[in-house]
Amino acid sequence: MKSKKNNSNFLMGMLALSISFPLIVVCSAWFFPGTELWTHFAENLLPELITSTLMLLIGVGIGVSILGTILAYLVVMVEFPGRKWLEWALFMPFAIPAYVLAFVYLGVFDYSGYAQVWLREYTGMPGFDIRAGSWAIILTFTLVFYPYVYMMARASFKRQKIQMIEAGKMLGKKPFEVFWRISVPLARPAIAAGLLVTLMETLADFGVVSLFNYSTFTTAIYSAWNDFRSIEVAAQLASMLVLIAFFLIYFEKKARGKAKYYSSDVSHIRPYRATGFIGWLIFVFVFGVFMLSFAMPMLQLVIWSFDKYAEEISQRYSDYFSATGILTVSATILTVVVATLLALPSRRKDESKVLQLLIRFSTLGYALPGSVMAVGLLYGVQNISLVSIYLGGTSINHILFGSVILLLFAYISRFMAIAYNSTSASSEQIKPVFEQSARLLGSSRIRLIREVYLPMMAPGILAGGLLVAIDVMKELPATYLLRPFGWDTLAIRVFELSSEGLYDRAAIPALMMVFFGAIIMLLFIRLDSDKY
Amino acid sequence: MKKVTILGTLMIAIFASSFSSAVAAASNDSLTVYSTRKEHLIEPLFDAFTKKTGIKVSYLTGKGGALIERIKLEGKRTKADIFMTVDAGNLWYAATQNLFQPVESEIIETNIPAHLRDPEGLWTGLSVRARTIIYSTERVNPDELSTYQDLANKKWEGRLCLRTSKKVYTKSLVSSLIYHDGLEKTTDIVRGWIDNLAATPHAEDVHIMTSILAGQCDVGIVNSYYFGRLQAEDPNVALKLFWANQDSTGTHVNVSGAGVTKHSKNPESAIKLLEFLTSIEAQKIYVELNKEYPASQKIKADNLIALWGDFNQDKMNLSVAGKNQADSVSLMQREGYR
Repeated sequence: MKSKKNNSNFLMGMLALSISFPLIVVCSAWFFPGTELWTHFAENLLPELITSTLMLLIGVGIGVSILGTILAYLVVMVEFPGRKWLEWALFMPFAIPAYVLAFVYLGVFDYSGYAQVWLREYTGMPGFDIRAGSWAIILTFTLVFYPYVYMMARASFKRQKIQMIEAGKMLGKKPFEVFWRISVPLARPAIAAGLLVTLMETLADFGVVSLFNYSTFTTAIYSAWNDFRSIEVAAQLASMLVLIAFFLIYFEKKARGKAKYYSSDVSHIRPYRATGFIGWLIFVFVFGVFMLSFAMPMLQLVIWSFDKYAEEISQRYSDYFSATGILTVSATILTVVVATLLALPSRRKDESKVLQLLIRFSTLGYALPGSVMAVGLLYGVQNISLVSIYLGGTSINHILFGSVILLLFAYISRFMAIAYNSTSASSEQIKPVFEQSARLLGSSRIRLIREVYLPMMAPGILAGGLLVAIDVMKELPATYLLRPFGWDTLAIRVFELSSEGLYDRAAIPALMMVFFGAIIMLLFIRLDSDKY
Repeated sequence: MKKVTILGTLMIAIFASSFSSAVAAASNDSLTVYSTRKEHLIEPLFDAFTKKTGIKVSYLTGKGGALIERIKLEGKRTKADIFMTVDAGNLWYAATQNLFQPVESEIIETNIPAHLRDPEGLWTGLSVRARTIIYSTERVNPDELSTYQDLANKKWEGRLCLRTSKKVYTKSLVSSLIYHDGLEKTTDIVRGWIDNLAATPHAEDVHIMTSILAGQCDVGIVNSYYFGRLQAEDPNVALKLFWANQDSTGTHVNVSGAGVTKHSKNPESAIKLLEFLTSIEAQKIYVELNKEYPASQKIKADNLIALWGDFNQDKMNLSVAGKNQADSVSLMQREGYR
């Protein structure tokens, strides 16, 4: 019996390790020195990059925390005009790839965009360069990523005991005090979890920062690789991102503390009612966020695509659709299956610090730029081949290179964090008493999993799956490098056109992506509203 | 159980389809091209080739650095017969990584002038673009303009827009300045440019043009075809190209080009494709599709770009752009050119 337990721990550990494979390859670059380049970078690039990366992380962190939390609080706790549909509408920016939003914003708000042209004409104010400094890019990231915090905080607010809020009200606390003193502290773990995902995405981003020509850590990674042709230094720099992500996770754990809420009671009562002027003020604010982060960019894409529709649409689109569809579905299923296995509750796992560490490590891929992870994967396979040839076997390169296997593997490694966050959150809500009583009744572990755990974890598994699906659909760099022939996705088409400056044509595949993303979001919302 | 079956079927379908495409690519009368040139710019060329010869061409697009790594790692088993990319620096780098085999072809040698080809026949340029000065016809008198170097002059303070130093075209231009003027003088030029900037360097040439039109800046440096595309849509656009350095080194030109890979399974057909791409028929497609200059000496430029007039090209051998690239990037990073 005892050995069986260790076996399952061992298997889980191996699973987590193999998911971390590209990460391990990237980190192993430290065995190769690249000193000269490091001196140049340390003198000329890194001081500025570290400051600008920190500025970005802090700015985006504050931005998404405030915006996501306030929005979540408003839709959960306050009844205001339009609340019903806005509660769902606020999820929609998930469906827009960050780089698409960035090129729309630049087109509309930069010096030559019509927002500024209009301002200059009617107010006479001088034009300005929105890419100078960091405020505009922080704002852009905030508007793309706030849904992560919004989603988590909203779920947490819904589970807060209505009695506590009422008690606060009865003690004569003003709404803001109730919000700040009671609701926010209770939701802190959820806010931190959303924040973590946001910051990891921001760290790994390459598309938005290059459109704004903003320098972050990824700038140095690409410079090492493309300018100085040193893939080793690039990997060394990338592994520092992994380190930062590790610290972020550590802080998130701290923020979460020992708090464990086994509550799944959801209340539908809204303690506050905002009518009249205040109500409309709230509506204008929430609606404004929705407009800016979703409706306006959509409108712009539609306007751009009108002229170019005939030129752009072709037979090839059926290939883009099927590639996008097949990759999204299969990668999502695989990622979710692994994330569920790793998150299955068991007391033994709590006892094994090593296993927990391995699982945590396997989720760090989210902070790596997709192309770095992809190259890490290629080099890893190459090394295995070399070892295999050395041992008298054959190379496995030709089987793996340019097949979907490698690409699917990259997706799993990259998006494990998203799936695992959801599945582990839902598994944490399963009280240990279930396992104990099932054991007492002599039920096997398989049966326990199938009949107790899986049904209880189902909402988390599905939610994780849908989020992963959206991310896979939007993924660009790893897909671009690892895909086999004929597996061009919609995201690749958007990139190929927009990187040539053909934004109006790029708007067409971008709209289709948003359309698919919206369908996935609607499924998510359906599921979510069943739950609550 | 049912879920498992569905999953299994899906997986089998995926593997089957990925293998079937692999098989198709390996058959005899077909070629595979790895390209950093985007799909919409290469597909018409390959279609024309297939129509003419019956040889099928499949292609995989990607980013330069990544595709080069992929070919290197695929080694002898690579499916790539041809590697096609933009910028001489990239072609030079691919050559140093042993990606290409030398090609001897009379057709290519008569079609393409020597300074646009690798001396050892490892790659050949296929289309030419000038990277030159663009200015607002409303606010700039062309008499004020002369050279790239002159844009570092105080008189352009707050009037200049440039593309990011992260783009390879900027790197190659600065490489050519290092070649002509030396490191020290180039440092001064780049410093002067930065002081004159009206806005953070732009991510795309297209944005430079719209910024000049909106009045954010008066002059910039762009690749000729971006202006060609804009002019094709709006013939009266208030912008014009100025041929830089006509009295000294000539205007900086760059190429898109290709070479036959070292481990091509089908080098004869690959050479055929390369030769076709230098032919009048293909060169016309290049010009029409993207408003680039033909690399071939045998045909004239498109009507539109012919109107821009003749100009003296910088005759620096283009592999220098690659050799100087690391110096050029270090310099720009030292000076804080973003």
